[in-house]
Amino acid sequence: MRISPPRKPLLLSLQPYLLIAPTLLLVLMFNVLPAIRTVNDSLYKPARGLNAAGKPPEFVGFDNFRDIFDPAHYMGARFTRSFRNTIVFALATVGIGVPLGLMLALMLQHPQPLLGLWRFAVFYPALLPLIGAASIWSFIYSDSIGLANAVLKSFGHPGVNWLGDRNLVLMSVIIINIWKQAGYFMIFFLAGLQNIPRDIYEAAALDGAGARQQLTLLTLPLLRRTLLFVIVVAFTFAFQTVEQLQALGEGGPADSANLLLYLIFENISERRNWGYVNAMTLVLIGVVLTFTLSNFLLFEREESDR
Amino acid sequence: MNIRAVAVLFALMALLLLGAAQAQDDIVIDFYFPSATANDAEGIFQRYADMFEEQNAGISVNPVFTGSYTDTRNTILTELQGGGAGPDVAVMLSIDLYSFAEEGYIVPAQQFIDAMDMGDAYINDFFPALLANGADEAGNVWSIPFQRSTPILYYNADLLAEAGFDAPPSNNAELVEIAQALTTEDRDGLLVPVAGGFPIWMYQSFAIAYGQNIVGDDPTEVYFNSPEAVAAVEFLRSLGTDLGVGPAGGAAWGDTPTAFLAGQAAMIYHTTGNLTRILSGADFEVGVWYLPSGPAGEDGTGYGSPTGGGNLYIFDDGSKSQAELEAIWSWVQFLSSPEIQADWGATTGYIAANATAWETEPLASLAMQYPQYGVARDQLQFAAKEFSSYATITIQGIINGTLESILTGEAEDAQAAMDAAQAQIDSILAEYQ
Repeated sequence: MRISPPRKPLLLSLQPYLLIAPTLLLVLMFNVLPAIRTVNDSLYKPARGLNAAGKPPEFVGFDNFRDIFDPAHYMGARFTRSFRNTIVFALATVGIGVPLGLMLALMLQHPQPLLGLWRFAVFYPALLPLIGAASIWSFIYSDSIGLANAVLKSFGHPGVNWLGDRNLVLMSVIIINIWKQAGYFMIFFLAGLQNIPRDIYEAAALDGAGARQQLTLLTLPLLRRTLLFVIVVAFTFAFQTVEQLQALGEGGPADSANLLLYLIFENISERRNWGYVNAMTLVLIGVVLTFTLSNFLLFEREESDR
Repeated sequence: MNIRAVAVLFALMALLLLGAAQAQDDIVIDFYFPSATANDAEGIFQRYADMFEEQNAGISVNPVFTGSYTDTRNTILTELQGGGAGPDVAVMLSIDLYSFAEEGYIVPAQQFIDAMDMGDAYINDFFPALLANGADEAGNVWSIPFQRSTPILYYNADLLAEAGFDAPPSNNAELVEIAQALTTEDRDGLLVPVAGGFPIWMYQSFAIAYGQNIVGDDPTEVYFNSPEAVAAVEFLRSLGTDLGVGPAGGAAWGDTPTAFLAGQAAMIYHTTGNLTRILSGADFEVGVWYLPSGPAGEDGTGYGSPTGGGNLYIFDDGSKSQAELEAIWSWVQFLSSPEIQADWGATTGYIAANATAWETEPLASLAMQYPQYGVARDQLQFAAKEFSSYATITIQGIINGTLESILTGEAEDAQAAMDAAQAQIDSILAEYQ
């Protein structure tokens, strides 16, 4: 005769679900439902014209997506430009910021005089609120009274219009983000470096490996997981941090430095553009997912190859 | 009973008491205001609210600071679109009228003016140019002028005198002549702040001087690709290129007065809202004059600057009682009264909106002491409507983007860029015709 295990009291079997219920509810309310609504609303155009407040939206299929990719359309002209800027911005901040963070970590990992001061100086920008940092930089970049041009002028250069020149303004914004994030990435790399046992290097040195070989054959492979983490975080940052634009000419002139999330924010207040805003949000989510997943897959595959 | 339970109990009691205190006041007016100047707007409005409550028993005013003009507009739109209560009265840009009227969130002030004993005298005391943006095409007044401004020419009188000019420029030709004479290695002759997101305002003054405001009375019409509108932007662009009196692409808004005060610019276009700051910050003689007239005519028709600044809006979706609406209107009337306008104008530098305010202290003696304040007021006779239409936010975005791409040299062919913009604008406005 088999003895069935004693039945748990109902409350006890429900306990795990009750425990996650508050979190689940919040995730449903603030993440899942809005996401579903975004998908749904991206297929509609809101009522437009006089007294539109009470009128129902109109189903338009994928028209919103067609419009935002059409450079002759008023929203498409801004979207295509901001889309391109966002990709450039992400590639530049990650492509320069992450190696820079790694370089700083390698330079500041060994005991040396004033180590704490150096590390703090490099990490300090990460502590500033981005909007505050951007406000400070807007003074540095100022055309007539800014520090950047004062330095250029002291070398005999006439100075440049950092935030007014359409060819420079995106670069000016990228510089701020790299300056702000490199020190933050450095902290992760420093932690990663601490986890690599010293004796491996000693063994490598005995085998005659030079500093460069130690870096490429030991440090970088052993930092792989940290690197993946930092790159994923850096890409997420690149797509999410746009508040600096508020202090730096709002993405202008003529959207030369505008980024997707800021464009979405700029257009949210007028009802007529809600369909576009939802469509743009979906495209942005698609881009972020693509970048993040491809990072994971790339690293996973290399892991399994080993 | 543990400490936490006691704390919760106290909090509940406090809430109940608050509710009771609230209920004793008959009517509470939620008043949202932005601040575009560095003045202590919160302190000033609290003082006004206290004065008002003293005169009006049973009404209390709750002033809420809501950031910049854009923040204020977006805050209110978000609240109302989400089904929230929103403010009862708010200061918003005078050009925000259609953004709120087309959604049905605000009510015209006209009905309250009509119900007044001296309604005509009240509204006719305002400078007509300042009423242009607050009224619809049928002439109904929706919003009441409160903190208004116009662009104006500031010049460094000492520098002009040194170079032998004893009067400010009165037309574009003189403007260029003086600006070129005063441009040096480390000084710009003329700064027009059109860089940095909002060129439309300064641009409009050139369009008007060239003879075609880009907007008329009808909110479904925009005239952005007319020959005059194109010539105006080409002149504006040439200031930074061929004429070489300022930076290519124009100056940034915030840098312009700073550069002027530092002696790095001989003349600037800027808002009258900065008059107080510039007068008190300059160590040279500051001259103020009308924006120079353009090809449209030297007889006054070629002058012209748009108006700017904020109006008082009344919010009601039809749910407010007559008593509430009357209380709201009395607060609007209070803020637009000559006494408050004189005080507000003298404190901030905004142009007091009604004629009587200029005969009221403290503004009357201030205008006597500094004639510069009067220039801003007198220019109002040539001032025109600021850009506003249906779908204002979107269309203004199109115009700003187009102007920026022309001014920075990205779009070399101004006419083509403005034709394309006009086509986009017309397709949007077609939905309202």
